[in-house]
Amino acid sequence: MNGEEKTEEKTVSHTKNKYPWSNYTLKLGRGEPVSTTQYVLYAVQIAAVIILSWLSATVVPAIGGISFFYFVYPFFLVFTMWWGIWGILGAYAGSVIGAGLLVGWGPVVSVAYSVGDIVPTLFAFVLYRGLLANRGYDSLWRDLTDKEVAGVKTRRVGAWVWFLLINGVVLNLLSGLIGTYVPWAMGVIAANAFWVSFAGWTIGDLVAMVIITPVLVKGLTSLVERQGLVNRGWIT
Amino acid sequence: MTSPDEKARASKKYVRTFIFSMRTGTPVEKLHVITKVSMIIIFSVLTLYMFDIPVSRGGPDIIGLFLLLFLAFILLAIARTTKYLVTTYLVLSIPFLLAQFFWWLFFNWSLPGARMTFYFWPGFLPIGISTIVFVGAFSVVYFKTRTLWLSLVVGFLMWWFTVMPSMISNSPLTTWIRVPLGKSYPFLLPQWSAYVAFAKVVGYGVLIYTSFLFLLTTRDIEIGGALRQLRLSFRKSFFVMLMFRNLNTILLDYESIRMAQIARAANVIRKGILSRMYDLAYTSIPLVATMIRRSTEMGVALYARGFEASKNMTDYKEIKRLNAIDFTIMAILAVFLIYEVILGHSLTASFMR
Repeated sequence: MNGEEKTEEKTVSHTKNKYPWSNYTLKLGRGEPVSTTQYVLYAVQIAAVIILSWLSATVVPAIGGISFFYFVYPFFLVFTMWWGIWGILGAYAGSVIGAGLLVGWGPVVSVAYSVGDIVPTLFAFVLYRGLLANRGYDSLWRDLTDKEVAGVKTRRVGAWVWFLLINGVVLNLLSGLIGTYVPWAMGVIAANAFWVSFAGWTIGDLVAMVIITPVLVKGLTSLVERQGLVNRGWIT
Repeated sequence: MTSPDEKARASKKYVRTFIFSMRTGTPVEKLHVITKVSMIIIFSVLTLYMFDIPVSRGGPDIIGLFLLLFLAFILLAIARTTKYLVTTYLVLSIPFLLAQFFWWLFFNWSLPGARMTFYFWPGFLPIGISTIVFVGAFSVVYFKTRTLWLSLVVGFLMWWFTVMPSMISNSPLTTWIRVPLGKSYPFLLPQWSAYVAFAKVVGYGVLIYTSFLFLLTTRDIEIGGALRQLRLSFRKSFFVMLMFRNLNTILLDYESIRMAQIARAANVIRKGILSRMYDLAYTSIPLVATMIRRSTEMGVALYARGFEASKNMTDYKEIKRLNAIDFTIMAILAVFLIYEVILGHSLTASFMR
């Protein structure tokens, strides 16, 4: 009798959450160590982000030292949604090395101003996986482009509203504020150019995010998920 | 008795670095990576301090900044990377440095002190230093790029840069003939702004070229070795090495994908800025897909070689020891750092006294 009750409890706890993205949470991971493939993937994605950061900062013209179309920003966000802490680490390393050292900002400025790229990725991961995923919004953002995910109808308008509000406005402004204030305080950005650089940062990130994120999500999320490479939690 | 490995390495004239290849056997190549990291950190701290000294305390330490720039170039020359640097980054960094000069000149109006006259247009065509600057800049850029419009733009910017300050335009020493042309359009800026802007440009130069010194003369394997020396586990050191080792591969992948796009007529139709942005977005899909495929292959290869099972990994051969020259360099830089940042001295103030 007791055994039957326990089985029932277990069944209930497994079906409690109905969304197909309910596996993706804020736990540490799958409860197993990082596999060799994941280990390599995390290192290679950081390398890719470094190169894309470098290209974003050099190929596109800059306003007051800040790229006005920082096209690596959506990669920071999407990779964090896929790979948790490794995506956040990638965003930081990409910013420090790719958009800092390789551009010639020197180590001190690069290490300090890149904190501005940790903040949005970290908060977006926590907010989506911890809060919005339980309210019907996909933490991998497939609801931005797809009408349904694994048979569950998505709420596209709501997904876009949250996406723009959280990533485009709140986190982007916070990131821009940190990312501009630090070099400004260090005397790297001209004394009276703070708001121009801040506008360049936020608009550049926003435009890139709105254009590139849906393309990335539509083209790649299913592929990455099918290969079992999306992190269930922070680490694996 | 030298081992075959040592012989093989000694026979190599060049080794691959992050963004170039470096000649072996130069004094800079022999420096420990920890020394190089300390060096760029100290250069960076010194630069940030020197170009941010407030006007009330005598303004930026321009002599100190020039000294740092000189040292960076000397080290690049010793590492025999000057040829590569001159043909690539030196040319690429000039527009950036020029843009920064103007940025600091116009966006630094809150500086204290008297105002100085500058000209959008002085009301006459000055023949003098500005003409020589135009011809010089035009010739150098045209010789390097063979592009007329780019040479004209750079030449014009450099010319305008020398025409703008009234002290150059109005001085008979620098302007020999004046051909009256149109009305004069003057504007006022703090008299310190040109000096501060110039110091900032020299400072940016130090930051850029010391960063390149590190990137042009450091190998990924040296970083791995240094991390092992700092007692980081093999798995963590190897992770960092994998990351750095893949930089070149990813860049090559990106280039191949871009070329494939061009081969499929991506550049045939003139596109608006939005379409170009979308093009960039669509480049990212094959790039990420390739990245995932490569990671899977590398993961399998590592697994097949017992990466997960092995407890005692063979360590890197490239592990170096910190020697006397490393300690000497770090000590000199530390003294300079204490003199400038902690004791608050300025080389410019000392020389001008």
